[in-house]
Amino acid sequence: MKILKENGGLLTNFEVLDFLRSRGAAKDPTRVLAPLAPSEFKVYDFLEQSAACSQTRESIAEFVTKCKPYKLTKSEIVSIVNVRPSSAVEIDPLIEDLDSRLGESAEELVELVLQVFPPPPDQSKSDE
Amino acid sequence: MWRELEDMEEKWQNPSQKRVLARVNMFNLSKLEHTLRLQPHLLSLPINEAVKGELESLFLDKVIANLGLCISVYDIESIDGGFIFPNEGAPTYTVKFRLIIFRPFVGEIISAKLKESNADGLRFANARAFPCCPRLRNHIRFRVQNVKFPEIPKEQKESKPFAPMEIIGSLVSDGGLGPISWWV
Repeated sequence: MKILKENGGLLTNFEVLDFLRSRGAAKDPTRVLAPLAPSEFKVYDFLEQSAACSQTRESIAEFVTKCKPYKLTKSEIVSIVNVRPSSAVEIDPLIEDLDSRLGESAEELVELVLQVFPPPPDQSKSDE
Repeated sequence: MWRELEDMEEKWQNPSQKRVLARVNMFNLSKLEHTLRLQPHLLSLPINEAVKGELESLFLDKVIANLGLCISVYDIESIDGGFIFPNEGAPTYTVKFRLIIFRPFVGEIISAKLKESNADGLRFANARAFPCCPRLRNHIRFRVQNVKFPEIPKEQKESKPFAPMEIIGSLVSDGGLGPISWWV
């Protein structure tokens, strides 16, 4: 076995979820008929209860274009899309040198995230 | 234990290591090439399906050294060969394909469910595969400190099941890490 290209491309959680859905993970309640392994179902379950379950390709594309003025690196953007921080405190560990690079506009970035991505059902439950 | 983590944290902040952040991500597509033999009873299936099935049984849910945990076969790029070597009944194919690999990078933030905590640190349900049945409900966010691929041990240890890929995380930071309920 040979590894041709170790890093072929970044995948957001949403893209992996979409891939599993296209293989039929969502439609099969018995989990026997879909051509997926049990471990793939576990991944699917995990992703469903993460922030990725309510995202769409369009919302991610929209977020990427809108956050251009903030000059984030690609992996920071992917981290934000995956984690979906809902406050400035949550965004702090995701971005390096947050204060010196963004300063005031960190709040705006959080607003942008909240605006583009709807809150996952998990988070609204934990607020109660 | 926390002091150790803080020392490691400082090492991470060394500017030469910041390049690591740009490289890989939690889920990654990796292209591999593998030579595999197709058992004769599979030859009645369309070749794509047979090869895919074989790849899945070989790689799915297995940790590839220094690469990560293979989640899924993404696609097959090319299938070459089909030669039958002497003394064999099975044709041999050289396949190029892509796998979805789970491999967090150093510095990435991951959400995980806390599974176990003891003197050695916190062992998350996420360390080897995705959470199946977390005993505690705490939803925690931590930063990946280090990803280790320990050698396969010669004898299986009885107390702790062997984890081919260990992710060591750190909660030391200015804010935003630790149980999510602290911040939200």
